Amino acid sequence: MAAKPEKIYHGSGVSPGVVLGQVLKFESHSRLLLKVHVEDVEAEVRRYLRAIEASKEQLKALKSQLEEKVGSEHGIILDAHILMLEDRLLNADILDNIRTSRANAEWVLMQATDRLVLTYKSLEDEYFRDRHSDIEHVADRIQLNLSGDRPFSWEHLSGDQIIASRDFSPSDFATVDLQKVRGLVLESGGRTSHTSIICRGLLLPAIMGLRGFLDEVSTGDTLLLNGDDGQVIVNPGPARIEAVRRRMEAFGAYPADSSPAQFGTPALTKDGVPISLRANTEMMHELSAAKNCGAAGIGLFRSEFLYFGHPLGYPDMEEQLEAYSRLAREMSPHPVAIRTLDAGSEKVGGSPDLTQQENPSMGLRGIRLSLHSKETFLTQIEAIFRASCNGRIEIVLPMVSTIEEVWQAKALIDQVRTKVRKEIGPAIQAVPLGVMIEVPAAVFSLEVLAKEVDFLCVGTNDLIQYMLAVDRGNPQVAYLFQPLHPTVLHCLNRITTVAKSVNKPVRICGEISSNPFYAVLLLGMGFTQLSMNPLSIPTIRRVFREIPMEASRQIAQKALTFITAQEVHEYLTNAVAKLVPWDITSYAKEIAPPNGRNGK
Amino acid sequence: MIHQPVLVSNKLGLHARAAAKLVRLASRFSSNIYLSREDANQQIDSKSILGILMLAASKGTQLMISIEGQDEVEAKEAICQLFETRFGEES
Repeated sequence: MAAKPEKIYHGSGVSPGVVLGQVLKFESHSRLLLKVHVEDVEAEVRRYLRAIEASKEQLKALKSQLEEKVGSEHGIILDAHILMLEDRLLNADILDNIRTSRANAEWVLMQATDRLVLTYKSLEDEYFRDRHSDIEHVADRIQLNLSGDRPFSWEHLSGDQIIASRDFSPSDFATVDLQKVRGLVLESGGRTSHTSIICRGLLLPAIMGLRGFLDEVSTGDTLLLNGDDGQVIVNPGPARIEAVRRRMEAFGAYPADSSPAQFGTPALTKDGVPISLRANTEMMHELSAAKNCGAAGIGLFRSEFLYFGHPLGYPDMEEQLEAYSRLAREMSPHPVAIRTLDAGSEKVGGSPDLTQQENPSMGLRGIRLSLHSKETFLTQIEAIFRASCNGRIEIVLPMVSTIEEVWQAKALIDQVRTKVRKEIGPAIQAVPLGVMIEVPAAVFSLEVLAKEVDFLCVGTNDLIQYMLAVDRGNPQVAYLFQPLHPTVLHCLNRITTVAKSVNKPVRICGEISSNPFYAVLLLGMGFTQLSMNPLSIPTIRRVFREIPMEASRQIAQKALTFITAQEVHEYLTNAVAKLVPWDITSYAKEIAPPNGRNGK
Repeated sequence: MIHQPVLVSNKLGLHARAAAKLVRLASRFSSNIYLSREDANQQIDSKSILGILMLAASKGTQLMISIEGQDEVEAKEAICQLFETRFGEES
């Protein structure tokens, strides 16, 4: 067969890095289909023919049932399905391919189906175009009959898989073998989705928002994924492949415009003001990414990922102790801020069923859940105190909206501290306590909250959603998710002003701080501690080196004078771009408000 | 080898039901029976329903049948009749 034509697609690059691999279509867990080498091809041919026979018997039985119930004229569509099962062209092609490629019947059938479906979808006449669904039904039935005798396994994978899927939830990470996955391409999602945050943490290049992509590729296609600019190339030519090999040798998994710094070195502004850049993480294997990218500790460890998909529903004390100890040891001498369980719509053992909440983002979650299911909370706090002798640990309480919640949580924390101190004695370390500022109510009672805690963390992802009453996961209103909304800026400015007046450290722990333009804005407002996905740290470090503190202050002052996000965006991107001697305009798009809808 | 033009004159064209009838009929003959659209040079096997549907032949489409084999004459007559009687459907 001649070389397949190169096809280029653009999505949004949500996790940087360039990788080459082969497509693995991930449609649902039961339908993961892979190429497996078969030794005995004739046995595989017989296996396929058996599945065809079984499918035919089933359809014939269905047809007579249907004819009995609704009349013979409706049986005809099943007649067409039976004829498809017997189709000479399809079967000859499949049997040929099983023999020549020595591949399993499932894979060969899927390839053939994909090709046919693609051809049908290109037909102009709507009726004939829609026949692709008949082909899919028939193929599904054959696959089902094939699947009985050989369940899916990751074992046979070559290890350069790039998962292509419509959707991929954080819990899906638990079902794949991450050692064998090099990248991720999704039809849905975007930069701020949780899945993309995880990808960045795992150094897993990823592209999202590529609508219709699954119809364009088949499992096994060669794919070149560029997470820096969102470009995906299917069937890349030899010249491109060579260029990627060279690039990977030079930069490894890192984005091309950054070079990692030594673990823990502070970033500096142009005039030498030190800025703390920490990493947001949720999985243990992200720690090396954080260190490699020069993080000054972990600014936010999303502990719920220890709970999600856990076989018991939740990790016990021992397991948590081990995880937190390792976190503390690996990041030592730098601090690790552990955010206590922040589940809202997931199933977590020891808690009421949260999956039925109608509006989980405003429901029983975060600190509310911890105060509701105290045992789970006490276990987590105990594990944290026991782990405290291994390094510097901090506790952050999520979703705080009232001072009473802080009082209650502190009482429980004190109770655990006393208990652990009795058991392990002086080895116990001081564990500073912070709260997440992510609910508007917390912003406006900041003076009161700040007095009760040692530090503040701003969860900008949630705060922006709650401030603007916009679910960023809802495509119909996603355009209203505007990080540069003047209200959001005033809100952030209030936080840093209050924090300074009560002399409490404050850290931004949202993805927004990984945007160079936004990071400069935050710097100018007075935020000197930022926490972001590890991979963005080198870029932000490099940007800050070009920015004099005073210049950022002026930029922030001016930015606060506008009344639309559009104006802020225009001003900010111009002002910051002038200070940075290389092209960072691609980042401007990430924080751009939509054109036309609410602009002038 | 026989070549014979036919016109798709039933209301729904060579849709699934008509295509199924055509495949069943064509499969009764040992000859190779091919169909092609006048406006395209793609030739398909009339014993393959997937091929026939891919022709996307709606009402009014001109098709060319090419038949080669021992029973080509009988096959031509049977198939022409099927088209002429509009697959037993409305016009």
